[in-house]
Parts: sequence; structure tokens; C-alpha cells
Amino acid sequence: MNRRQATKIGLVFAAPLLIYFFVFFIYPIFLLFKYSFTNSYGAFSLNNFASMISDPILSYSLINTLYYYVGSVAIQFTGGFLAAIVLNSYSGRLKSVFRLILYVPLTVSPIVIALMWLIIFNPTYGPLDYILRSPINWFGSTALAMPTIIVANGWEYVPFVFLIIYAGLQAVPRQYYEAASIDGMNRWQMFRYITLPSIRPIMLIAFLLNSIGILQGFTLVYVLTNGGPGFSTYILSFYIYKVAFSYFNLHYASALSLLFIAIIGAFVYAVLKLTSVEKYLGLRRETEGGYG
Amino acid sequence: MKKIDVLLLALLIIFSIISLFPIYWIVITALKVNSEIFTTPPVFFPTKITLSNFYTPGERFGEVAQTAFGSFPWMINSAVVAVLSSLIGTFFIGAPAAYALTRYLKNVWLARTVLFMMMIPEAALVIPFYVMIMRMNLINTWWGLILVYLSFIAPLSTWLLMGFFSEIPRSVEEAASIDGLSAYKIFFRISLPMAMPGIIVSIIVNFINAWNEFLYALVLTYTPFPTGSQTVPLFLTDFIVIEKTFAWGGLAAAGVIVMIPSIIIGLYAQKYLVKGWTMGAVKE
Repeated sequence: MNRRQATKIGLVFAAPLLIYFFVFFIYPIFLLFKYSFTNSYGAFSLNNFASMISDPILSYSLINTLYYYVGSVAIQFTGGFLAAIVLNSYSGRLKSVFRLILYVPLTVSPIVIALMWLIIFNPTYGPLDYILRSPINWFGSTALAMPTIIVANGWEYVPFVFLIIYAGLQAVPRQYYEAASIDGMNRWQMFRYITLPSIRPIMLIAFLLNSIGILQGFTLVYVLTNGGPGFSTYILSFYIYKVAFSYFNLHYASALSLLFIAIIGAFVYAVLKLTSVEKYLGLRRETEGGYG
Repeated sequence: MKKIDVLLLALLIIFSIISLFPIYWIVITALKVNSEIFTTPPVFFPTKITLSNFYTPGERFGEVAQTAFGSFPWMINSAVVAVLSSLIGTFFIGAPAAYALTRYLKNVWLARTVLFMMMIPEAALVIPFYVMIMRMNLINTWWGLILVYLSFIAPLSTWLLMGFFSEIPRSVEEAASIDGLSAYKIFFRISLPMAMPGIIVSIIVNFINAWNEFLYALVLTYTPFPTGSQTVPLFLTDFIVIEKTFAWGGLAAAGVIVMIPSIIIGLYAQKYLVKGWTMGAVKE
């Protein structure tokens, strides 16, 4: 089979995806451009972008999104990494049971998580404030609302990072450690010179997917704080929703959507360029069966 | 060696408590009687267990509140939309596309397109989707939601399945090709059945994501079955807004009912998940 034939067959198989991509990605993005560059009378206008500069709520939302992102990555990555290392080092019989337990939160709906933490964080009847022996109004304080959301969301997604990194740890060949112990390496040296380099690809993949997942966040803010108190938990996704469906300003909301796509696009592009994650994902050149 | 195992075990027990406590708490709240829900100190081990929270409406002044079992019309919508969209996304879009990308189209730009589709957040597309679904007259219908849900199912399903297809040995397909089977027959009769574990992962992961989806359902639907296609997360949201302060038992019961399907399905999928997520970059 020659190359042209192969491409033809490939395009037939990929056709549903490509058609969907044009109708439900390219066309929507075209619509976003169209709305962004027009005013409510349909005339060409740059006002939507001009008003971004002097929009204080947008600045809050951007700062909060950064706060939310950095806090979430920190918690989810540290937590997931730590749990994976601990479980991997543990050699008891309950290993697979622990793995299952640590994974469960990932399957719970965000909306149920919102409900769960609403009850747990309740200052009067909730268990947490009782354990801490101090009634704290978690969602009612401008300083605490965002960290509370980050923790609640982290509870669900720590298991995601955990699961992926744990699989990476399990895949490091035993012989490496055996050889190292013959060479007289101690535990720390093995971790530093064998484990870490071996799981680097998988950590990059976890980081990329995790980051994309975090920036998708919306439900917890909507249900738990509705952006408040004040604007303290306005994140970009929530602000777009508000502008579009509470203030009914589709044009400005479209411009904000483009801004959001641009920010995430730049971020993902930077990750792909600065790290070797593309290679591990097979996005740069064909690697049969991948790493390992 | 011994000492470190004790430390590790202690840490694992702490992690497990963090992992399970919120679930435990919502389950016991659903099973508690009201006098044990609203007390200080909170009751960690209920003395009386009841199922009445599942079917007794909360005590509201003047109007009958919702019950957990009342979520049934929303459940129907969730089930139909999640099942259909994950099946369509996997069989009609993801599987053939992943096959094309691992066999015929070596162009990295196509793989990057899939990543691009995955990374765009729902909030950035919700406005054009709303406009499009409105123009198609599909607001508050199953098909409106399904079409939109494919925007996250199609790329994820392609992504997950690429790892599985790349592991199927070429020799089988080559042998079939020598026997005179066309490329399409090879896909349907040989490659697709061999990638079945991946197909199952894709259906399950996407089912869970569709079942849990919130923002699109919030914007595109407004009434439950049979008049509309509002899904169960929206049922829960209304419930939370109305009952936030007093009917915790009923609220927790509703949460438990919504939580059960995704936990069961998720636990079943657990062993296949990692391979899918990492595109076969890790071999277990």
C-alpha cells in the first residue's frame, strides 16, 4: 500500500472526528470571534477588548484563577506524589486495597463533592470545626473561601495524580534497584538517581493533564460560593458564565472566552515546548509503544 | 526495614481516612435521624439508622420539598445522555480516529488537534454551543446535550484509545491483509475486537464524565424528564439551594443516590484507567 492510499484510508477513519472538530470547535471559535468583534447592534467594534483593560472584576478573576491554579497544582501534585511514593514503598499485603481506597474520590461527582463539603465545613454541625474545636465560617470569609474550594477540589483530584504516578513507579524495572544495591547505593540515592529519572515522563504527563483538568473548574465555585464572598472566588470560567447568562452580555463574554482559550493555549504550548512531554505522548515523533 | 513499614502503614491509614471520611460522612448523614444530624458535638457513629431520608420530603413551610427518590426523572435523562454519548463518542468517533492516527496518519498535527480539543475549557465554548443548540432547536433535549457532550468525549476517547491501538501487534493485521481483507474489514473484524479493553475504558470514563457534567447541562436544559433533559447534577443543585439549611438528611440521601452509579462503575474501571490516561506511556 502506498502512502497516498494509506492517507486516504486514514482520512476515512478519522472523518467523524474531523467533521465534529470543524462543526463543534472551529465553527464555535469562529462564532466567538464574530461576537467579540461586534457590539449588540451587530456593528464592528473593539469595545469588548477595550473594556477588558478597565474591568476590575476581570482582574480579580484572573488573579483568583492564578491563585486557584497554583494552589490546586501544589496540593494535588504534592499529595498525589507523596501518596504514590508511600504506597509504592510499602510492601504489606493490603497494598491493592489501599490503592483502591485512595482512588475512590476520583469517581465522585463534583456536585456531590460540593454537597459533601457543604455539610463537613458547616460551622455549627459539621465534623471539621468540631475536630478543630473552633467554629469557622469557611465559605463566608474572603480569606478562607478560596483555600476551602482548593482543598475540596483537591480531595477529588489528588487521586488522579496519585494513580498515574503510582503506575509510573510500578513500571520501574526491579533490576535497576537490585543493581544499585549491589553498587552500594542507599535509599535516597536510589530515589534520586533511579526513581526520579524513570518517572519523569509520567510526571510530565500527569502535570499536563492535571493542569488542564484544574482549569476546567467551575462546579464547586458555582454551588459552594457563587463567586463570593465579594469577588473572592470569581475564577475566569465562572466570570464568563456570569457575564453571559446573568448579565446577558454575549459579546463581552465571547471576548472573555477567547482570552481564556488564549491563556490556556499559551500555557499548554509552553509546557510542550519547554519539556519533552510531546515526545512521551507521541505528539512529536512516532514512538512505537511509547516509553518503558 | 520493620520500622519504616510501620511508618508507611501509619501514613497509608491517614491517607485512607482522608480519602474515605467525606464519603462515610455523607452516607451516615443520609442514614441518620434528624436529632443526630443537628447536634453538637456531631455524631460520628449513629445509634439509630433510618432509610426515611430517602423518601420523606424535608419539612418546608407551605410546599412539598423534593426527596432523594424524587430524582428519578433526572436520573433517566442522565442515564440516557451518558450512555448514548459515551457509546457514540467511542464507537463512531474515538475508535476509528485513534485507529487512523496509530496506523495511517502519521501527521503529528492531528494528534495535536486532539490535545487542543481536550484542553479547551467548557466555559470557553458554552456561549457558541448555547447559540448553536438553540438554532438547531435542541435546547432541553437529549440530542442537544449529546451533541455538546461529544466535545469532551470525542477527543478523550481518541486519546485513550490511541494507547490501546498502538499495542496491537501489526503482524495480525498484516496476515489478514495478505489474506485479502480490506482495511475496513481488518478494522471491524480484527483490530476493534482486539482493542476491546480500551473500548470499555473509554466508554466507562466518558460515561462518568458525562454523568458528572454540570455547566452544559446548567445552560442547555431546564426541565426534567419527560418534558425536558435536565440531568441529575441539576436536580442536586436545586435541592442544595432550597434545602441547604435544614434538610441535610434528604440532601445527603440524594447525594448518595447520585454518587453510587459513578463509584461502582469507576471501581470496575480502575485497573484499566491508568493505561488509557497515559496513552500506553506506562506499561503495567
